[in-house]
Amino acid sequence: MARMNMVQAINLALHEEMKRDENVIVMGQDVGVNEGVFRVTAGLYKEFGERRVIDTPLAESGILGTAVGMALAGLRPVAEMQFSGFSYLMMGHLEGHCSRYRSRTHGHLTVPLVVRMPYGGGVRALEHHSESREAMFAHIPGIKVVIPSGPRNARALLTAAIRDADTVVFMEPKRSYRAFREEVPEESEVWPIGKARVVQEGTDLTLVSWGAMLRMALEAAGEAHARRGVSVEIIDLLSISPMDTETILDSVKKTGRCVIAQEAPLRLGPASEIIARINDKALLYLEAPVGRVGSYDVVTPYFGREQAYFPGVDSVRRAIDETLDF
Amino acid sequence: MDWRERVAAEGSRGDRTGHFEREFYRGIYLIRRLEETLLELFAAGRLSGTTHTCLGQEANAVAVAFHLTDADVVVSNHRCHGHYLARTGDLEGLLAEIRGLERGLCSGKGGSQHLCAPNFYTNGIQGGIVPLATGMALAEKQRGSGAIVTVFIGDGTLGQGVVYESFNIAALWAAPLLVVVEANGWAQSTPTPRAMAGSMRQRLEAFGLPCGMVEGTDALEIHRAAGAAVGQVRETGRPAGLIIRTQRLGPHSKGDDSRSPEELETLRERDPLPRLAASLDPEQRRAIEAECERRLAAALTATEGPL
Ligand SMILES: Cc1ncc(C[n+]2csc(CCOP(=O)(O)OP(=O)(O)O)c2C)c(N)n1
Repeated sequence: MARMNMVQAINLALHEEMKRDENVIVMGQDVGVNEGVFRVTAGLYKEFGERRVIDTPLAESGILGTAVGMALAGLRPVAEMQFSGFSYLMMGHLEGHCSRYRSRTHGHLTVPLVVRMPYGGGVRALEHHSESREAMFAHIPGIKVVIPSGPRNARALLTAAIRDADTVVFMEPKRSYRAFREEVPEESEVWPIGKARVVQEGTDLTLVSWGAMLRMALEAAGEAHARRGVSVEIIDLLSISPMDTETILDSVKKTGRCVIAQEAPLRLGPASEIIARINDKALLYLEAPVGRVGSYDVVTPYFGREQAYFPGVDSVRRAIDETLDF
Repeated sequence: MDWRERVAAEGSRGDRTGHFEREFYRGIYLIRRLEETLLELFAAGRLSGTTHTCLGQEANAVAVAFHLTDADVVVSNHRCHGHYLARTGDLEGLLAEIRGLERGLCSGKGGSQHLCAPNFYTNGIQGGIVPLATGMALAEKQRGSGAIVTVFIGDGTLGQGVVYESFNIAALWAAPLLVVVEANGWAQSTPTPRAMAGSMRQRLEAFGLPCGMVEGTDALEIHRAAGAAVGQVRETGRPAGLIIRTQRLGPHSKGDDSRSPEELETLRERDPLPRLAASLDPEQRRAIEAECERRLAAALTATEGPL
């Protein structure tokens, strides 16, 4: 066991997987010599050299398109988008190629690649550097979208993503990069993609969250427990697509109440999808409408107004209260 | 009064000796001092977001701006403070914007690299705004305004595919577009040769954009080259390019510089500012500098208080 932050844990997974499988390559802007703007790729260039750790031109579309070709021809590329805000330039390949090869070849050919990208706000950044657009990626059929919430699951899920037969968009909540440390096991772990985790059991209300919001959900639940003795069950979604409906439904059937806390804007976001699934399969178990917490449907503001835009512990706490008091 | 008007006014008073050099120096010096101040503000924890200063590249902005009319459009990128100041002289609006204040030129919503003013646009998505510049140029042409559009990009941005889609469209449909490549040899931590195959100039010429080249250590030489390039687009109504070999003397944004001290030293020797300074009468130069310092101090006070 070693205590490490999320940057170190992701870096560890990259080291381990590159050692394990020589087909794994890392590519992106400034990921090699410079070791990445957030230092996530530290040490890789020195250890594995420029054939496997590739500094690319400034060309997001070119990076992903090339990675698709490499993946089809037997490599396992892990491509980095420097910020998720620059990733839209490669959307054509994600939509047009990645999952379609499996579909049109009856699973004969797949595109096993990972697109890593720091995303989300809370770091006092500027336009194109704060968004949470997981819903956009998750809307593409066959694309897996994974969002870790802490060092241990980041390492275990990135390992799974690299070994996965299909394309995984791996979104790293950058405000959690160095926010806290956690014990990470010595041995490499592989967590199944598409499986949520119950991180705290409870009986009165289900709280679903992911990414950087999870810590706020935990804090709000702790506060609600201290203040009004409520027992909250907390689910870390970990994967937006595929989405682990079963774990959510099992919990909601038990508690009868649910709040979903996401950092992304509410409109057409993952929370909406979760609510639809609860309505489909567990409507009659509900004792209150499902509560939703998220950011506003406007462009993420510049740093000065960030606090007013992103949901925080307070907004989760209010939603818990409203759902309990319905 | 912006500096172009000042040149005109001073010129018309008859005392033309060195007036152009002085005004050029004023333009560059003010940008230099603003950029240095921004880095200090960041270091002191008094600014957030990010910033990409154009230290060492100021002359490019001032040179191009000199040849443009108010009807012309300037489109820029993340490293845009100099382009904006040279074009508008709006120091206070820019500073307030970078500080995220309501009274900033975009109400504090755009920040350092997302400026938007009449006939002035910037964006932080590298290359992403080049097709927009092409479209603007086509619109100006269709409206018969006679205006041209100048778009500034870095040499690293020549990696983006949409840049070539834009060159093709601009040439095919004869857009009055000037593409200014500020080739500082780096894209963040990546030296250009590690990211670029072939010849920069031929990339533009392949699409039929005649392309000027300037070494960029002498401000007046940049000025002449900019004049030729702007004139070409204006006269032909067709796109053209200008590659300026320039030098980024500061970090890529703040604190991130992967270059060796020796390399930085060599680059500092290419800085156009001290050369231009040396060509001026010392007393007049000090007066210009003092005036710029006063303006900067006033803008700082107006947007928060002195550093
Ligand atoms: C689409 C996109 N990808 C990545 C970035 C991150 N980034 C900001 S500036 C920069 C380098 C730009 O290099 P260049 O075009 O040479 O301009 P310079 O910074 O040297 O002025 C990069 C990679 C970005 N802003 N936009």
